Order: sequence, then structure tokens, then C-alpha cells
Amino acid sequence: MQIDHTVLTKLEKLSHLRIDESKKEEVMGQLTEILGYVDNLNELETDTLDASFSTLEGGTPLREDLPRAENDIAKNILAHAPESQDDFFIVPAIIE
Amino acid sequence: MITLKEALTKSSEELEELKAELEKKAKGSGLNAYVGFESSGEGVPILVKDNIQVKDWSVTSGSKILQGYIAPYEATAIKNLKSKGMMAFGRANMDEFAMGSTTESSFYGVTKNPHGTDRVPGGSSGGSAAAVAGGIAIAALGSDTGGSIRQPAAYCGCVGMKPTYGRVSRFGLAAYASSLDQIGPITQNVEDAAILYDAIKGHDDKDSTSADFEIEDIANNLNPDVKLTIAVIDDHISQADTDIQKAFASTIKALEKAGHTIVHKEMSNTKYDIATYYILATAEAATNLARYDGVRYGTRAESNTTEELFFNTRSEGFGTEVKRRILLGNFVLSSGYYDAYYVKAQKVRHLIRDEFNAIFADADLILSPVAPSVAPKIGANEDPLEMYKSDMYTLGVNLAGLPGISLPVAKNDEGMPIGLQLIAKAFDEKTLFNGAASMEKAVNYTK
Repeated sequence: MQIDHTVLTKLEKLSHLRIDESKKEEVMGQLTEILGYVDNLNELETDTLDASFSTLEGGTPLREDLPRAENDIAKNILAHAPESQDDFFIVPAIIE
Repeated sequence: MITLKEALTKSSEELEELKAELEKKAKGSGLNAYVGFESSGEGVPILVKDNIQVKDWSVTSGSKILQGYIAPYEATAIKNLKSKGMMAFGRANMDEFAMGSTTESSFYGVTKNPHGTDRVPGGSSGGSAAAVAGGIAIAALGSDTGGSIRQPAAYCGCVGMKPTYGRVSRFGLAAYASSLDQIGPITQNVEDAAILYDAIKGHDDKDSTSADFEIEDIANNLNPDVKLTIAVIDDHISQADTDIQKAFASTIKALEKAGHTIVHKEMSNTKYDIATYYILATAEAATNLARYDGVRYGTRAESNTTEELFFNTRSEGFGTEVKRRILLGNFVLSSGYYDAYYVKAQKVRHLIRDEFNAIFADADLILSPVAPSVAPKIGANEDPLEMYKSDMYTLGVNLAGLPGISLPVAKNDEGMPIGLQLIAKAFDEKTLFNGAASMEKAVNYTK
């Protein structure tokens, strides 16, 4: 799998990341090399195998969905957020 | 440095003195193993990797993006150890978001290996291992997603243990790859590892993958005289450096002399472990790290719009390796490639687990190298794929959710430690620790 400028631009958008122009060639080369390596999995026959996986016998246990409030945690997070007011995080204006 | 077992017998006055001494020694050591000297609770000081939440500490996962973040709650592992006569003392350096094998990707700079300060301590729990090996921590907590406890322990000549997935609560551990992450101990010897493991383990309803099994006390029932069947994978060993192969061969002799039976088994090439891991771990990381956007915690970059806020904060806040793994993870999860990469790797995980299970039908433990070489020089490995390949021996254990323990067995001609790991079947920590205690006695490693 060759990572070109089009794919990298798409990945930057999906990742909310910008890669410096000067580093793009290097990053594309590394991603291409890594993806070339992981293609080795195609040597393995996996058609009959389940696509989900859990190391826990019987899968993840279920529990009652009960409400639980730890309001101090929310207050604590807001108090240390980059910008907050009352019960809200402040962000740049979304609507003009 | 006194052991954890000895430290647990000390008075609170003696422990206060010890803490002051640790801080002084750590600051003068030049190892850069600690990134903070915070203190929480009372008892024996345990160094905590910078990705485990201790309430009111600035816990930053070795990243610029989490500068300014204050943990609003306590990890269950920390709560548990505080109830067993221990406390959290200091934050240990690590690869950013636990993504790395050398601790070179930390925002706080590289940690040095106490056995050779021009060498890396391994990673990602490099600060934890360097501090324990360097005599500036009694014991430490690390986290292991693909070898991040066992490999730095091997490079630094100490003991590092990864519990079965589900044994130790992940509540309060900054998520890297949630289906692989486990918190575990890094200590001076096997018995201390058992004591710290006993202290942190147990079911937790705050972690939906926490196993609700009856748990027996390991440390007080440790039996180094047990006779076990130990499997070795000859094909895997031949891929390691000569130093490692020599140490492996002499360890086998020591184990046989101690009365264990060695059986020779086969497994698929580790290249499949590497491929599976780097697809699944990056996919999970891309998802887990989407939360760091500058809105709720950590640092926020200058920006005029919300879109810019996301892009600027993440582009400025994450380091190179983290960005690379997020890009890769989003690639393998993206429309058109999801089945070929992510789903394929999930399927291969079954094959890897089945191979381990087949071996455990005939053997109690597997003996394996931890890394193909001793600790490399700082700056020696700049190629990411080559670094990923050096995780060849540790990844399978995480992919199958098994417990493993790394302990030092020898030193090479340059005085660098060589560690080997024992692997047990899921939830059989008892046999794992008994085997490790026996191996520790049999190889008689000198620090």
C-alpha cells in the first residue's frame, strides 16, 4: 500500500493533525514501509475466524446500568480546563 | 536500596527519612527517571508511571499536550496499594503515551540506563525501570501494552511483571490500546513483584474488562521449589543476538539442574505478532487519543475557530511517534481498508492465542527472550519499523492477554543486563511467580 499525498491529506483530516510540509515525504515513506510490512498477515488463512476477540472467557461481563454521580470529578475537571465558565467549557465561537 | 518486603516493616519516621533520601539521590543521579516528586498517602513510597492517575497530581503521559492537566480522581491500582501500607511517590518518565521502546520520545527528555548512561533504559516504562535499577526507587508501577514493563526491566536488570489482561483494573490508566493495556510492578526481585502485584490486583466494577475471579495471595505462598514443565521456542531464539542466545542456553541448563523439564515447541514467525500488534494498537490509539483536542484538559493552542483549535492543539501537542501511530490507526480503520487491516488483524489474534493455548496443553510455562539485544545506545534507532521489530518477543503476550514476567539472568561482556521472560496461561499468575522465583534462585544473577 503506497501512501501518497492524497491519502496523507485524508489521514491528516481524520486525525485532526497537520504534518509539516518539510516532513511529509519522510512520513509518507515510513507509513508506506510499515503498511508494506504488515501486509504479511495476508499469508495467513483466516476466513473461518471470528472478527471479534476477547481474552475473557464468555466475553465482557454485563452489569446493571445504574446511575452514579460523582459531581466533584466534573467540577474538578472544569476547574483545571484550559478555559471554562460555570458548567461549561469555553471554545472559540462556533456560530457567527 | 532496601527491598519492598523490608520497607514494609519500617516505621513511618524511617519511611519519611527514606523518602527524603530517595528524592535527594534521584535529583543527583543524572538518570532523569523521575519527572516529579509528588507525594500522596502514607507508607512505603512506590514510584508511579506518569500515565496512572493519582488524585490532584499533574499526570501527563510524558506529553506536551497534557501539561496543566490535574488528575481529578485516583486509579484503582493506586487506591489498592494505599490500602496495603504503600503510597504513591514521584512520577516516572515514559515514552509519550507509552508509545515507544526507549523512553526517548518523552516530553521530559530521555532517561538514561543506570548500567551505561549512553544507553536507553528501554520503554515505555523506562523511568520506572531505571529508577528501580539505579537504587532511587524501592519499587515502581509501569504499564505494559506491548512489552513496556518487561522490556525496560530486562534492559535495566530488574524484575518486571505484566499481569493477565483483566487482573489489574485499568481504571485511571491513561488509555493507549485498551484491549492490551495492563498496569504491573517493576521491582528489585521476584518476591517484591509478587507483593506489589498482590497489592494492586483485584476486581473493579469501574473497569468493564476486569475479571471477577477468586484471587489467592501469591507473595505469602511463593514456592521456588516447585518442578515445572517449561517450553522453549527454538525458532524464535535463533533470531536474537549471540549474547542473548548464550544467556538463554545457560538459563535452560540452570532450570534443568533445578529439576524442571524443558520441552521444545514451535510457534509461527513473530513477524505476524508485530503486524497484528501495530495494526490493532494504532487503531485503538487513534480512537483513544481523539479526546485530546484542547477543549477539556491539558494545553490549548492559540486559535480563532474550533476547527483550528483541534488541529493546532494536536499538531503542537503530540510528538512525532504519537502522530505516526494516530495516522496509521486512522488508516487501518478508514473506509476501504478496515476489513483488509483491522478485521484481518483481529482474526489473527485468535490464531496467536490458539498457538499459546496449544503449548500450554503440554507445558506450565514458556521461557522466551524479552528483546533480541541488550539496551541500545541512545539515538541508535531512528527507523520506526526497526524499533517496532525489536518488540518481537513481547507483543504476543499482550495480544493473547497472558501474564509474563521478565527477570535478569546474566550480563554481557560490556556489563549490560540480559533479561528473559516466563509466560503462563491466562490467570495462572501463581505458576508464573513460582517459576520466576525458582529461576531467580537457579540463575543467581549478580547486580
